[in-house]
Amino acid sequence: MTLTKTLAGLAAGTLLSTTAAFAQAYPERQITMVVPFSAGGPTDTVGRLIAERMSADLGQQIIVENVGGAGGTLGAGQVAGAEADGYTILLHHIGMATSPTLYRNLAFNPLEAFEYVGLVTEVPMTIVARKDLEPTDFPGLVAYVKENADTITMANAGIGAASHLCGMLFMQALDAPIVTVPYKGTGPAMTELLGGQIDLMCDQTTNTTEQIKGGTIKAYAVTTPARLAVFPDLPTVSEGGMPGMEVSVWHGLYAPKGTPADVVERLSASLQSALADPGIAEKLGELGTAPSPAADATPAGLKAKLEAEIARWKPVIETAGVYAD
Amino acid sequence: MKITSIDRADAASGILFLLFGLFFGSQSLGLELGTAFRMGPGFFPLILSGVLMCFGLLVLFNAFKTDQPGDMGSFAWRGLLFILPAPIFFGLTVRGLGFVPAIFLTTVIAGLASLKMRPHWAILLAIAVTIFSTLVFSYALGLPFRRFGPWLSF
Amino acid sequence: MDLISNLGLGFATAASPENLLFCLIGVILGTLIGVLPGIGATATIAMLLPITFQLEPVSSLIMLAGIYYGAQYGGSTTAILINMPGESSSAVTAIDGYQMARRGKAGTALAVAALGSFFAGTVATLLVALFAPPLTVIALKFGAAEYFSLMVLGLVSAIALAHGSILKALAMVVLGLLLGLVGTDIYTGTPRFTLGITEYADGLNFVALAVGVFGIAEILRNLEGEQDRTVLGTNLGGLFPTREDLKQMVAPMVRGTALGSILGILPGGGAVLASFASYTMEKRLSDRPQDFGQGAIAGVAGPESANNAGAQTSFIPLLTLGIPANPVMALMVGAMIIQGIVPGPNVATEQPALFWGIIASMWIGNLMLVVLNLPLIGLWVRLLKVPYHVLFPIIMAFCSIGVYSVNSNVYDLFAVAFFGLLGYALIKLRCEPAPLLLGFVLGPMLEENLRRAMILGRGDPSIFVTRPISAVLLALTVGVLVVVLLPSIRKKRDEVFVEAD
Repeated sequence: MTLTKTLAGLAAGTLLSTTAAFAQAYPERQITMVVPFSAGGPTDTVGRLIAERMSADLGQQIIVENVGGAGGTLGAGQVAGAEADGYTILLHHIGMATSPTLYRNLAFNPLEAFEYVGLVTEVPMTIVARKDLEPTDFPGLVAYVKENADTITMANAGIGAASHLCGMLFMQALDAPIVTVPYKGTGPAMTELLGGQIDLMCDQTTNTTEQIKGGTIKAYAVTTPARLAVFPDLPTVSEGGMPGMEVSVWHGLYAPKGTPADVVERLSASLQSALADPGIAEKLGELGTAPSPAADATPAGLKAKLEAEIARWKPVIETAGVYAD
Repeated sequence: MKITSIDRADAASGILFLLFGLFFGSQSLGLELGTAFRMGPGFFPLILSGVLMCFGLLVLFNAFKTDQPGDMGSFAWRGLLFILPAPIFFGLTVRGLGFVPAIFLTTVIAGLASLKMRPHWAILLAIAVTIFSTLVFSYALGLPFRRFGPWLSF
Repeated sequence: MDLISNLGLGFATAASPENLLFCLIGVILGTLIGVLPGIGATATIAMLLPITFQLEPVSSLIMLAGIYYGAQYGGSTTAILINMPGESSSAVTAIDGYQMARRGKAGTALAVAALGSFFAGTVATLLVALFAPPLTVIALKFGAAEYFSLMVLGLVSAIALAHGSILKALAMVVLGLLLGLVGTDIYTGTPRFTLGITEYADGLNFVALAVGVFGIAEILRNLEGEQDRTVLGTNLGGLFPTREDLKQMVAPMVRGTALGSILGILPGGGAVLASFASYTMEKRLSDRPQDFGQGAIAGVAGPESANNAGAQTSFIPLLTLGIPANPVMALMVGAMIIQGIVPGPNVATEQPALFWGIIASMWIGNLMLVVLNLPLIGLWVRLLKVPYHVLFPIIMAFCSIGVYSVNSNVYDLFAVAFFGLLGYALIKLRCEPAPLLLGFVLGPMLEENLRRAMILGRGDPSIFVTRPISAVLLALTVGVLVVVLLPSIRKKRDEVFVEAD
């Protein structure tokens, strides 16, 4: 019977310790960062990188919870409905801006369900092809695609994926109905591109940098306004004659609507200090991206970005006529 | 042809396959079928549903031709009553009550499925399981579970 | 002699005291978590991933790889002991392994699994070291048409998984395929068969299905009329395999290793198919096919070897191309990126110590597993002495946690209950769950590749026979069908004639 008593005592002890002391300064317990994609993916990686640095700054552990599914809308929806106490935050990417158009029955309104903490990073994209595709430069590619529109194939990682969004822009800019081939994620798509089974893809530098460096695929352009430090010889889309095709996979940090202003401020300050860390800059640099400047890693910066992006993608998606619901 | 007896297990599985085939088939009809070049989301499942219904019919048909009817044996009614709700209960409460109470009650519920398990032993076992899994999953592995959820904030 | 100097570098890296320690920790952690019911390698790595972030890149990857083999091994242990596979590959082990356990030969089954895995691991590690680059070239030759044909071959082989009615097995495969299609169609974004539940938009969770159909159904079966009989054999004799047992496992082990090594290289479905395919092959080659499903040693040795060899060679696409072949490898990519290594075709040249260190640690990890686990078998087997009514509530608790931890999705838990009910019904109706599981895993890939091949072939189905690899695979499929169906067709025809008389 002594064992029973000990066990019961232990259980009671745990119960007591968690309900003790409430009125301390934020944060006084661990924070959950929901990443609405599976563990190991590019967004998860970004999330874990900043979670680690922000934990150090806040003095409380931030743990990453992966709530994957339905293009990130499940995890986002979960945070939208979570307690607005600052202990549940959300890291989401460009999908936050495309979801209201892609998902016509979305359970929450991205513009109204969240407080903004700040912009985290903007990952550039590259237009790449199998290594033996004929054209040698971007204008050449454009001409080639227009000429062979019915035989060219373009891969993407499924509806709403960054590669899909970028592909839509590319096709609308070219006004050529290329045959698109969806894959389940970028990994399989990249494999088939390496094997020469498909011709084109537009993907984040996270996935393409090493392949381009290794010469296993051919890069034609980057989708940023300026050239990238990693690929000084790779022209931008504007240089290649396709202005307006700039696209980046931006990541933002959110908290549920109604989270106290001082808590949001604290989180935002913490995000800025994490992004200012040279270690973070270095790791993001290896992925071909960079931390967002301090001015953008603010509630106002993220709000402006989200509003602009929702407005930008609505017509693109509606023109293409693809929906994910 | 003489029908000696019916294999009830086979007949039931035939019907089960037919029902599943009907469910998936009817749902597929509401989906786009597409063309051979660009197959729609309904194309492949519709074919599969048709195949499944054919198999179901064949199984059902064969059930009437058997010589030795199968015996289905007894059913674990008590088990069904307590085992199946256990994960459902965990799912419904893990966020609200929190990990610790949810796993405790889940284990108690599952424990009651056996006649051999007296209630106080079930509770004792549940306490042990709760302590073990809280230590392992929540503390050691740092899984993002809230130990005590918002329903218990007092 | 590049290979020798490379391997030398690898072993020097992997055998540093620190890395040995992390490898050991990884293997132990993996085994321990993997052995909890309902938690397989993917869930284990996802759970333990953060632990490795603080380490040096090489150490962290060596530890992760250790967790991977450990968890895989642990998963086989639960499959054998309580019929609870945590991954698709151990689902096959459960078929005969669990039957062996019920016959009091749990120790033998576990030892066979351990030895088979070690042998396969050793051979496959060598293959990775020797042939990684040329093997990658083969993997890249596989396009949509080839994958589709490979899947068809795999599915047809699944018929042999059943030891009852072939017709029912086929129906179960088709049902599995349909269940696998639940979720969002990647081509159009249309949700299918989700009944409007967004939580199922990414499909039903494999772990939920496997735990329900195998594990929970088995618990329910054991609860039937529990007063009048003991459930598992309390006779635990035969802790270790006899000379006869060992002799029986050699050939299946070698064949399984060969099969697994080849299929493991293919990204996507390869490794999944390996254990199923090995089981089929052993059953066809066996003198006593009727033993399969009743506790055949070959039915454990073959698939376990195939599974482990596949696990090993699935590192090839990751190491040479930087492309993950399965969800576990995807987690490894994430871990590498966090460590500041972006996986790609240059890892071998830019980071030779890392590249060869991981390869060498694969072998070391496998060795550790065998050394650790052979003595542990006695302990695992003793677990079976725990009264069942104490064991199963624990199993239920861990299953609930394990399934929930994969995606924090409560609907996965509801799916567990549903599949538990379905699985129990299927047992009652004498339908076997293994073909269902195979169909479930392959369903989405089959459809995806069929549709992709048709797009790439511009709607012309001849693409499946004009591409040589695909044509060969389809020819093999026809061959398997003929071999499997001929005897029973002949029998059927005889019966028909008899009735006509």
